[in-house]
Amino acid sequence: MVDTFHHLMAGFAAAATPTNLMFAFIGCFLGTLIGVLPGIGPAAGTAILIPLTFQLDATGAIIMLAAIYYGAMYGGTITSVLINVPGEAASVITCIDGHAMAKKGRAGAALGIAAIGSFIGGVVATVLLVLVATPLSRLALSFGPPEFFALMIVGLVLVTSLAGSSLLAGVLMTITGLLISLIGLDPVRGAPRFTFGIPELFDGLGFIPVVMGLFGVGEILATAEKPYREVIKTNLRGLIPSREEWNRSMGAIWRGTGIGFFLGLIPGVGAIIPTFMSYIVEKRLSKHPEQFGTGVIEGVAGPETANNSYANGAMVPLLTLGIPSSPTIAVLMGAFIINGLAPGPLLFQERPDLVWAVIASFFIGNVLLLILNLPLVGLWAKILEIPYQYICAGTLLFCIIGAYSINQSIFDLWVMLGCGVIGYLMRKLSFPLAPLVLGLILGPQIEKSMRTSLEMSAGDFSIFVTRPLSASLLALAIAILVFAAMQFAPKEIRDPNAD
Amino acid sequence: MRLRRLAMAVTAVALVAALGSAGASAQEYPTRPINMIVSFPAGGSTDIGARVVAGIAEKILGQPIVVVNRGGAGGQVGWTELSRAKPDGYTIGFLNLPATNTTILDPERQAIFNEGSFTPIANQVLDPGVVWVAANSPFKTFKDVLDAAKAKPGTIRAATTGILSDDHLAILMVEEASPGANFRVVHLLGGAAQMKETLGGNIDVSFDNVGGIVPQVKSGQVRALAVMDTERSKFLPDVPTTKELGLPTVISSSTRGIGGPKGMDPAVVKKLQDVFAQAMKDPDHVKRLEDAGLAIKIMVGAEYEKYYAETHEKAKKYTEWAKNRPQK
Amino acid sequence: MRRGWFVTAGVFLALFAGTAFLSFKLPLLDALGPGPGFFPLILALLGGVLALALVVELKRDPQAPAGAPQPDAEPFMPDQGALFRIVGIIVLLLAAFTALDPLGYRVTSFLFIVLMLLVLGVRNYLAIVLVALALSFGVFHSFYYWLKVPLPIGEFGL
Repeated sequence: MVDTFHHLMAGFAAAATPTNLMFAFIGCFLGTLIGVLPGIGPAAGTAILIPLTFQLDATGAIIMLAAIYYGAMYGGTITSVLINVPGEAASVITCIDGHAMAKKGRAGAALGIAAIGSFIGGVVATVLLVLVATPLSRLALSFGPPEFFALMIVGLVLVTSLAGSSLLAGVLMTITGLLISLIGLDPVRGAPRFTFGIPELFDGLGFIPVVMGLFGVGEILATAEKPYREVIKTNLRGLIPSREEWNRSMGAIWRGTGIGFFLGLIPGVGAIIPTFMSYIVEKRLSKHPEQFGTGVIEGVAGPETANNSYANGAMVPLLTLGIPSSPTIAVLMGAFIINGLAPGPLLFQERPDLVWAVIASFFIGNVLLLILNLPLVGLWAKILEIPYQYICAGTLLFCIIGAYSINQSIFDLWVMLGCGVIGYLMRKLSFPLAPLVLGLILGPQIEKSMRTSLEMSAGDFSIFVTRPLSASLLALAIAILVFAAMQFAPKEIRDPNAD
Repeated sequence: MRLRRLAMAVTAVALVAALGSAGASAQEYPTRPINMIVSFPAGGSTDIGARVVAGIAEKILGQPIVVVNRGGAGGQVGWTELSRAKPDGYTIGFLNLPATNTTILDPERQAIFNEGSFTPIANQVLDPGVVWVAANSPFKTFKDVLDAAKAKPGTIRAATTGILSDDHLAILMVEEASPGANFRVVHLLGGAAQMKETLGGNIDVSFDNVGGIVPQVKSGQVRALAVMDTERSKFLPDVPTTKELGLPTVISSSTRGIGGPKGMDPAVVKKLQDVFAQAMKDPDHVKRLEDAGLAIKIMVGAEYEKYYAETHEKAKKYTEWAKNRPQK
Repeated sequence: MRRGWFVTAGVFLALFAGTAFLSFKLPLLDALGPGPGFFPLILALLGGVLALALVVELKRDPQAPAGAPQPDAEPFMPDQGALFRIVGIIVLLLAAFTALDPLGYRVTSFLFIVLMLLVLGVRNYLAIVLVALALSFGVFHSFYYWLKVPLPIGEFGL
């Protein structure tokens, strides 16, 4: 422990040199920019910048690329809140309450709490990384395909909490999401499903085009109905979360930190699921779940904390085992390798100077992000004062670039437009969109992990219940389902007129 | 009204200025940026290799080379795009052998391109296959693995990095070369998943490429048992080859090279070959790729075309097997 | 407005029926258990049952389900001006997607922004042109050359 402390202090000394501080700052700035700009997600953004780091020394290069990664996690929030378009995938859920807050003139508070939550989540996750990285690295390995399957089933049954007031509508939307996610080559045999011979469909519908359509384009069509709305005024007081908003957010921030860090330890979960889990947990625990979707601050604070905490938690399997948890981390690992460093247990022994400098830079980076973003919150909120017509045209162009650039594909644009029209209609009919998105994320994970498990067991289904962790997670899923059924069923049978 | 006229004037000037820069002759190739399609998402090893070589080659060529990631369907989406592109030299891309071949050969994939749809230009990397286990595995040599697979057929869990990947074909080659050996094949999505499941004890033996495991071998987390090549890998000098182990037919690798659509102007192809061969010999390129455990193997012209044709023939046989092999 | 929910339930039913039909053409089982058609079929059947339940619930109770728009909610069809804007946006998007490859990003987005702002009722022509130039040529330059994000270049090299 004393040893760890010494290493960390040495790391701070190395990371706090003016050069490395500058790299951390450039990284945070570029990351925020990448998060805000359409068409460049954190994975592509980091990959594009790798060649630029060849001129730098390894420590500086990695500090900068890591800063880009968590900077992008924050940047994606800004567009979600302001124009209802997720700048990167992990900010989808923030659209729901974040944009609703913006419409109520609370964009500043939403962005402010996201910055603060991200800061707390990032710093606490890094503390945990320092203290318990090595013991926890075994946890990542204990989640094999059967456990992963069970975990995803737990996620799926939790969707009942996202359903809004009609459980049926919510579940129907989930099933639709799951079905859409099955379009493409089947994950085991490689057989095309529901592709109608269109090669662009072989990889399924792209997640970004779908959510940009459902949220961004759908929102534009909905607001086009009444375009002469007043410009949203944000006064200075609106930039700071109120005392009440603070109180409501603190619990969400701590829980988001825990959820993000824990899920970050399990490779393959990805950055989106933790945000959904945090949102669901907040809605479950809330005394007024019916307000979710109308712009409650917990719905922003929780998920935004979770995605930053996830970003730092996902460093654990990378640094201790050399296993990347997500595509962006894989790029980061590529950056390590191409600079002649092999992430994994040996790196701590061979280059402790570098590892600890990078870890220390996570702390510094999170502080820089806060300093960089809080003053900008007011500036971002001002964007909403631009006349509606220009925002509308700009947002649509933003969506076009964003959906197109992922795969340089015109086909993705058609997908986006189709989803935009569906999103618009669903909005008018008050069908919930979040369950559909969750189905979309969970579908491939569930099928792939189930069928890989069966490949492992040569078709024996007992693999799911004979492994203790998998069995307990499945039991938990059943318990949640029974609980949800009890909660919904009597109300709708006994008192159909209930609100 | 005056505003409107001003607006029109501004537009006209901008359009004329932009149009004037377009349309130059093919002799001065290249006159505008070149798109380089990578059929996998940003950050994969093909992508990183492409960005390294593109960064060096664009300085020699004098025009930007923009890496375009057209991921999807195990590369099929990107290769479809490449095969459809205009053969004017402004769209080139990466061919991954034998993945490109198996995509063509698997009838279920309904690929609209075939082996003649591409012009091979220059190969960059040849990454041999490797058999490896977790450091705590009871298997100390490749023979241990084969003996176990013969003693209890269909129980040894062997992981690939994807269906019809070169690793999948390699397992079939091993089964063919050592009669009686039979593995329980588990298809995982990519090297990271394979590393996680093998270290976690859910997989008994893994088939991947040298570049995918060098860091973990160095750190002592995994043990490489055999390299599927005729000569030892310089990154794993202590690991015997399949040839040394008496399995000379088990030769498998994954290569990455630059190609274009068919029907390219030979002069353009020649220019690209020269530029990329020069870029790939650049010390910076060599160092970056070797740090990543990727063996550079520059093949241009007839040599690359011959290699391309041979890989296709070999893949044909094993793809058919893979499709018909009953899962035990 | 409740008719909207009926129609939606019908659309769901049709969607699930189609999915079930297509799933039957795929192998439902393979040597190791569920095959490619297994999940879609189960989901489609489950969805079909639930969609029917939704229809029954709507028929049985004029207020149910909770959360569905109530009879006194605002009309589903937007007024004429709004309809013009919505159709305009969709048509312009369709045109832009079609034009993107042949005309390239710069020309397409320039025309798209100009027309979109006109459809939405902006009449400040100088502002329209300046905004359109910034979002087309300006964005292209910064994305293509600085950020290395390839946006389409059309037939005329623009």
